[in-house]
Amino acid sequence: MNEELLPVQIADYLQQQTGHAVQVGPLTRFAVGFSWKTYLVPIAGGLPEAGGASELILRLGPSYGLFAPYSAMPEFLSMRSLESSAIPVPKAYWAGDNTETFGAPFLFSQKVNGAAVVPWVPANTPPLDEAYRKSLGAEFIDALAALHSVDWSNQPIAQMAQGINIENAALTNVLYWEKQIERWAMRPYPAAQWAIRWLKDHCPVAPRVAIIHGDYRTGNFLEENGHITAILDWELVHLGDPHEDIGWVSMPMYMGGSPHFCRLTEPEWFYQRYSEKVGFQVSMASAKYYRAFSLLKLAATHMAAARCFEEGRFNDLRMPAMGSQIATCLRQLEKTIESPI
Amino acid sequence: MNNSFPRLIDGMCATLRTEVLSRLDDEFARGQVFGIINLLNTFKLRADWSTDFLSQQVSIQCHALEHVRSLIASVPLAPKVATLTPPQIVSPNELLSLRDSANLEIGKLLDWLASAKENLPEATALAIESELRQSMRREIEIELKSSPRPLFPEMSSGQENPN
Repeated sequence: MNEELLPVQIADYLQQQTGHAVQVGPLTRFAVGFSWKTYLVPIAGGLPEAGGASELILRLGPSYGLFAPYSAMPEFLSMRSLESSAIPVPKAYWAGDNTETFGAPFLFSQKVNGAAVVPWVPANTPPLDEAYRKSLGAEFIDALAALHSVDWSNQPIAQMAQGINIENAALTNVLYWEKQIERWAMRPYPAAQWAIRWLKDHCPVAPRVAIIHGDYRTGNFLEENGHITAILDWELVHLGDPHEDIGWVSMPMYMGGSPHFCRLTEPEWFYQRYSEKVGFQVSMASAKYYRAFSLLKLAATHMAAARCFEEGRFNDLRMPAMGSQIATCLRQLEKTIESPI
Repeated sequence: MNNSFPRLIDGMCATLRTEVLSRLDDEFARGQVFGIINLLNTFKLRADWSTDFLSQQVSIQCHALEHVRSLIASVPLAPKVATLTPPQIVSPNELLSLRDSANLEIGKLLDWLASAKENLPEATALAIESELRQSMRREIEIELKSSPRPLFPEMSSGQENPN
């Protein structure tokens, strides 16, 4: 992947897709995201095939990236599946897994206005303004409930079902992440091994099989004036137990020193409002189970970051910083498993 | 090097913050500088001068003093030469390897315990599990005590105090 050639390659690709010449301006790379590379692509005169947009977002999954090898398809299929739903999702225009076009799997999507709320804040950071927090918090809960209520069976994302059902959803995911840990860990972690055994022994039955965002939290949505404008970063999307996203939301790492899930919602309010909107009662046992699972998954992600940097695939200095957080995850993981429901 | 390791790290971090970041506009590049600061902070807590070069220096000094002592042993009114013995140095790589071997062993014992638990006296099984888990917990605690606050907000935004 040659970044200097990228504007020309983008112009060529868009011309092939639209059938007319496209002029691409200088790209801006965003610092956000630890995995895919994200660029703002200015289009001179706008692109009629993208609603006249004068800016597109291009995401590239480099071969040396955190979770490489990548596929753009899960993200593309999920965004396409949710286009007409109540969930605010950017429009996905074009995607591909071939590496001939840009040297990496790619996804072009709509540029949505808004800013990301930072999930990690220094200890002395004042809490979010109360009215702002509540407004955003309500939409944060409602969007998740809406996502978990989508009938995906006739949508493009159904291609990813692979025999998943309410009985095997938990075990399927645990086995998947156990494999990732075997692939990424650079040394033995008996604490992770112990937790995996506990997760296998306590698999809950899901209330339904739903679309799981996989990384639903502050930092992965845009907001403008207290309203969510877009849910982003669908790279870990899959089908599973809705409690999985709830477990992820509830991780202490994203509370930013506040008593609120993702700095936004009181846990009680989250569970109550979500249950009302989604149409089933949140199981506290499943929420605890999936919080533990999420901590294992986060530890695995940090193991991937450490390996990715160690192998010299990526010199992004945020990777070793992530790698240093494995111990934090494992400590929280044990505490979660030991905690009462 | 005559400056202390922690002071050098503090100086590097301060220079990056005041002299480099203040002149850098690119968001991604700023995030990377915060990544460097984050790593330097970790080095401050976990690293120090290499024992290799220090032990080489000490070994030469000890050898020289020992030799001089033997040369002046029979000289009247010669000063008394202190006996210095270089310590046994264990390299970090040896310790890392030992730690991983121990963790592998702990993992094997946990696997064995899961399958053999029912055939063991309850108190024995509990005592084994408690000992293994206590060891895992302590290892993690020690690691956390040597970890600085991660600069994720700064790294992912390129800003000093993101909110």
